[in-house]
Amino acid sequence: MAELDIANVTWWALREPVSRRKYAVLRLEAKGGLKGFGEGGEASAADMEHVRQVVVGRSATAYAVAASQLAAAPRVQAAVNIAMLDLIGQFSNAPVYQVLGGPTRHHARALVSLEGNSDDELIASLKHLHSAGFRAFAVPLPPAPARNQGQAFALAVRNRLERLRAAADDADFVLDGAAALTPGDASTVAAALEKFHLLWFDEPCPMSNLAAVRKISDESAMPLGFGRFVEHAGEVQDALREEIVDILRPNLARHGITRIRRMAALAETYYTAVAPHHDGGPVGTAAALHLAASLPNFFIQQIPVPAAEADRQMRADLTSRPFETVKDGFADLPNGPGLGITVNEQALEKYRERAA
Amino acid sequence: MKRRLFLSGMSSLAFWPGPRGALAAQTSLGSEAFRNAGSRVRITSMKVFGVSLEPDSDRPYVFVKLETNQGVVGWGEATLEGKAGAVMACIDDFRDFVLGADPVQVEHHWQSMYVHSFYRAGPVMGSAISGIDQAMWDIRGKMLGLPVYQLLGGPLDPRGVRGYYHADSEDREELIRLRQTALREGISCFKSGLPEYYEWIGTRAKIERAVRHIQMLREGLGPEIDLAVDFHAKTSPSVATIICKEVEPLNLLWVEEPCPPENVKAMARIARRTTTPIATGERLIAPHGCRELIELGVVDILQTDINHVGGITALWKVAAMADASGISMAPHACEGPIGGLATLHVDAAMPNFLVQEICSGVRPGSKENIWAEWFGFPAMRMVDGRFPLPEKPGLGFELTEAALKKFPFGGTRPMARVSHEDGSVAEW
Repeated sequence: MAELDIANVTWWALREPVSRRKYAVLRLEAKGGLKGFGEGGEASAADMEHVRQVVVGRSATAYAVAASQLAAAPRVQAAVNIAMLDLIGQFSNAPVYQVLGGPTRHHARALVSLEGNSDDELIASLKHLHSAGFRAFAVPLPPAPARNQGQAFALAVRNRLERLRAAADDADFVLDGAAALTPGDASTVAAALEKFHLLWFDEPCPMSNLAAVRKISDESAMPLGFGRFVEHAGEVQDALREEIVDILRPNLARHGITRIRRMAALAETYYTAVAPHHDGGPVGTAAALHLAASLPNFFIQQIPVPAAEADRQMRADLTSRPFETVKDGFADLPNGPGLGITVNEQALEKYRERAA
Repeated sequence: MKRRLFLSGMSSLAFWPGPRGALAAQTSLGSEAFRNAGSRVRITSMKVFGVSLEPDSDRPYVFVKLETNQGVVGWGEATLEGKAGAVMACIDDFRDFVLGADPVQVEHHWQSMYVHSFYRAGPVMGSAISGIDQAMWDIRGKMLGLPVYQLLGGPLDPRGVRGYYHADSEDREELIRLRQTALREGISCFKSGLPEYYEWIGTRAKIERAVRHIQMLREGLGPEIDLAVDFHAKTSPSVATIICKEVEPLNLLWVEEPCPPENVKAMARIARRTTTPIATGERLIAPHGCRELIELGVVDILQTDINHVGGITALWKVAAMADASGISMAPHACEGPIGGLATLHVDAAMPNFLVQEICSGVRPGSKENIWAEWFGFPAMRMVDGRFPLPEKPGLGFELTEAALKKFPFGGTRPMARVSHEDGSVAEW
C-alpha cells in the first residue's frame, strides 16, 4: 500500500511540569499525506536513527514486521506500533479497535492512581477523583521502614485501606506494591488483606524469582498483578505457567498495542485478565482504550490523572479535545478513524523537553 | 428369570448364531469376521428424532432409535444444548458404523466410532456416540433379559439412586419452605447457583453478594441438607478461589465448575487453595478427556454427562478411573429423560457414586409431566430421596414414535448469550 509507506519520522520527548511524568510522542508521515501518532517511553538519538532505518519506506500495514525488527528499542517500538495502527485506521476510515477485530466492549472500566504520601493526602485525592467519575483506585503502600516488617506495617496498610474505604463506600481498590517488598512481607500483607476484597495486589514484590512469588500466590486467595517491568513475552508465559499472576499488567509504553495483544492471548488460556500499565500521556491513553476494545480478557485501564493543574492543562492541550474522562467508573471509547484523536502539534512543540 | 420373561413369545435362539453361523447382510465393520463370536442380531435402521418440548427450546432432545432384524429396538439420547442440528448430522455421519452392526459388540463399536473418526471426539461427536452407545446398550440388555445396571454388576444400593433437585431461589422464606418439603419427602440434597456474571477479576460488591447468597442458601436450607453450588464456569480461578475460601465454614457438598474446563492446572490452583470440595466434568468428552484432571488430583467429584461423554461405555470408564483416585461421581443430567434413565443404570453400578442430578425442582412441572406421559411412569422423579431403578431389561422403558410426534423439532437454538456491563462476552 504505497499510500501508507512511511516517509518521515518525528519524535517529541515530553515532560509534565509538576509530576515530572515523562513520555514521548512519535509522528509517522505517510507518502499519501496521512499522519499517524504514537506514544512511547524515553528514547535515545541512536534509537531514533534505528527507527528511521526500519520504518522509512515500509508500509504502515507491516506493523507486526516493524514490531519484531524494533525489539532492541522497545520504547520507540511501542510508539511506532501505535502510530502505524493509527495510520491504517485513518486510511480505512475505521477506529483502531475495528482494525484489530473489535469492539469487544462498548466502554472500558477505568483505574486511577491516588496521589499523595500520607493517608490524608490520599483521601483528598480519592475524593477528588471519585467526583471526577472514577470508581477504582490504586493505592500506594506506606513506606516500609526496614527490609522486613512486623505487625505495625501490616496494620498501617490495613488502616490506610480502611480509611479510604470509609471515604468512598462504592470504591474498589488496587494495592500498589511497586515491587518494593520482599516475597515474605508481600505474602503477609496479602494474607492479612484477603477478606478486604481488593481488586488485586499489584507488583507485591519483584517478579525475578518465580518460586518465591509462587509462595505468595499459594498462601492466600489475594489476586496478584504482575507485568509492569516485563520485557519479553516469555516472562509472561513463565509467570502464567508458575500460576503467580491473576491479572497481567504489561507496560503500554514498553510494548505498544500489538505486543500486548500477543501477551493477552497467552493469558486468555489461563483465564487471566489484562490491565495494561499506563503512566504516560493522552495519546497513550487513546491507544490503551483501543487496545481494551480489541481484547476479550481486558479488565481495567489505568488512566493517569495528575493532581497539578499545570500537568492536567498540558494533557488537555496535547489533543484537540479532552477525552480522558470517566463516568461511573467507565471511560468512553474514542470515536473516529485511527486513534480517534487529533494531536495538537503546536502543543507538542510547546511542551517539548529541552536539553538541559 | 427376567430374560425368560421378556423373551417369551420371541425366539431367544434367533439372537445367537446357529451351527452354520451363516448370516445374511454383513455390511458393517467386523460383523463378518465376528460371525462365530457375535450374535445374529443386526441393526437394520437408525432413526434420529429432534424433539422440542417448546418450539424455541435451546435443547431440543436428540433421540436415537435403532431397529434390528429381530424386532428388538433400542433408544439412546444425544441431546447437545445449542447444537441440535450438528449432533443430528453427526449421528447420521455414523450410519456406516451402525447399519448392519451387531449391537452386542457395543465396546467394539464405541472404539470404532471414536478411533476411526481420527480427530477424536469433541462435544458434537461425543454426544452422537453417546446416543448410539445408549441405544446399543438398551438393545443388548433387552436381548440378555437384564436391566443395564445388572449387566454392569449393580446395584450397589437396592433402594435406588440418590439424587438432588435444583433450588433456584433468592428468597429465604421460599428456601425454608423447600427445606420443610425436603425433610418431609426424604430429599437429602439440593444444588443452586451464583446470582450474577463475573469478570476475571471481581469487584468487591459482586464478590460479597456471591458470598452472602451462598450463606443465605445454607441458612434457608439448614444444616442437615447437603448443598452444592454451581459456579457454572462463570468465575475465573482468581474470583472462584476467593469465594470458595470464604464459604469454607458452610461445608458445601461441592462447588461446581469454579472455572472453565480447558485449563486443568488453572482449576487445580483453585482446589489447592481451598478446602471446599470441587466438582467438574459436565463438558468433558471420553475417558481421555478426564485423564489429566484425575491424574493431577484436581477435583473431589466428577460430573461427566452420559449424553456427551460417550454414553454408558464412557461414563462407566470415567467412574472407574475416578474411583482409583478416590474421586466420587455425581453425573450431570440436564437434558432429556432417556439419558437421565440411562445414567441411573451406570450410577447403580459405581462403587464411588455420590449423587445424581436432574434439572428439576421438588414439584414436577410441564416437562416432567410430559416425560411421565411418554413412559407411563414418573421418569426421573425421586421417591424418598432416590430415583427408583427401572426393572425391565435394557434401559427399562418403552417409548413410541407416536408419543414424540406431538413435539416436532423446532430447529437449533442457541444457549443463553449474556454480557457484562461493558457489553463484553460473559460466561453463562
